Amino acid sequence: MKSFVFAFIALISLNNFAQNKTIAAGEKLTYTASYNMSGLLTDIAQVKMETSEVKTTKSTLLRLKCTAATYKKWDNFFKIRDLYESYVNPKTLTPYLYKRDISEGGYYKFMQYKYNHKAKLVKSLKRKKNKEGKTWDENKNVKIGASTKDLVSTLYSIRNMDIHKASPGDQQNFTILFDNKETIVTVKYIGKETISTKIGSKECYKLALSIKGSDLLKGNNNNLLWLTADTNKIPVYVKFKIPVGNGELKIISATGLKN
Amino acid sequence: MKKLFIILGFIAAILSVIIAVTPLSNLAVAPIIVAFISGLIVLFLSKKQKTKTKTIQYIFLLVIISLSLTIYKGVFFTTEVGDTEQLEQRDEENLEDSKEILEDIDIDEGF
Repeated sequence: MKSFVFAFIALISLNNFAQNKTIAAGEKLTYTASYNMSGLLTDIAQVKMETSEVKTTKSTLLRLKCTAATYKKWDNFFKIRDLYESYVNPKTLTPYLYKRDISEGGYYKFMQYKYNHKAKLVKSLKRKKNKEGKTWDENKNVKIGASTKDLVSTLYSIRNMDIHKASPGDQQNFTILFDNKETIVTVKYIGKETISTKIGSKECYKLALSIKGSDLLKGNNNNLLWLTADTNKIPVYVKFKIPVGNGELKIISATGLKN
Repeated sequence: MKKLFIILGFIAAILSVIIAVTPLSNLAVAPIIVAFISGLIVLFLSKKQKTKTKTIQYIFLLVIISLSLTIYKGVFFTTEVGDTEQLEQRDEENLEDSKEILEDIDIDEGF
């Protein structure tokens, strides 16, 4: 009986975690990305995170879209126009289709993942441009774990975590499929902190991110993410340290929030 | 001693001009300050030694050029996103394409 009760509680809490209570369709978050060099910050690009509803004949999905575009003064120098999108189940945030369409200073790459969660397979398509401007495709089948997601849906899943139940020091792993490889990202809850942002002074959950087995993000607690400590859990401030310096993402505006 | 500051001032001044031309213009402030201080030190030293050094003028000239470029860029260049037409077009194309793909995918509520 005891074990049954325990299993029941465990199941309920698991179910609770999977439910989407944070993200609604029509949400629009805008950020400024800046690069820090010897204490001076330079604004580089505008990053947008948008959600919308997509209807097919059988079901309704949530489209999570992230775009990055460099500011005008950078366009002649190094033009970035990136598009990342993920089509997820609006209730559980499970991804079904992921697309990454990037154009960075003349370099073009397109990635597409079609998920088959039952078979735990991802059909991946990589499209690149060669020097003559012609595209070539590469198809691959990638085996994934039960909880593997893409970059975009993981970002939104982090927001959907029950952080209010966590105590400082708690951590959780996320498996991300990036460039046909599974990478484990660890999110650690550090504590609460009040910071002032463009959308007002907010009490925030402070989280530290790290990638297992990679040097891309430097240091232990140098890559930080601040989510507002309310039911919306908007990411308001991101600080990261990469091998070529450090940068940050600051929120400019947030509209269409769920709560 | 004087030579050291002349070299330092020159390098910093040239560096500041180079940075001021690039989009990283507000980072030019650091070498501008270094060049300006070295210029002042060279001026002070040459006054003490009662010699005339032409390089001071060059250092200050370069500093003025990069400083005015930085200020000009800071005032007139607003941080706005350039043309996103191409991005929006790709966005639309991807959405249409995705809708077609999603029609074939079975959405399993269990996951």
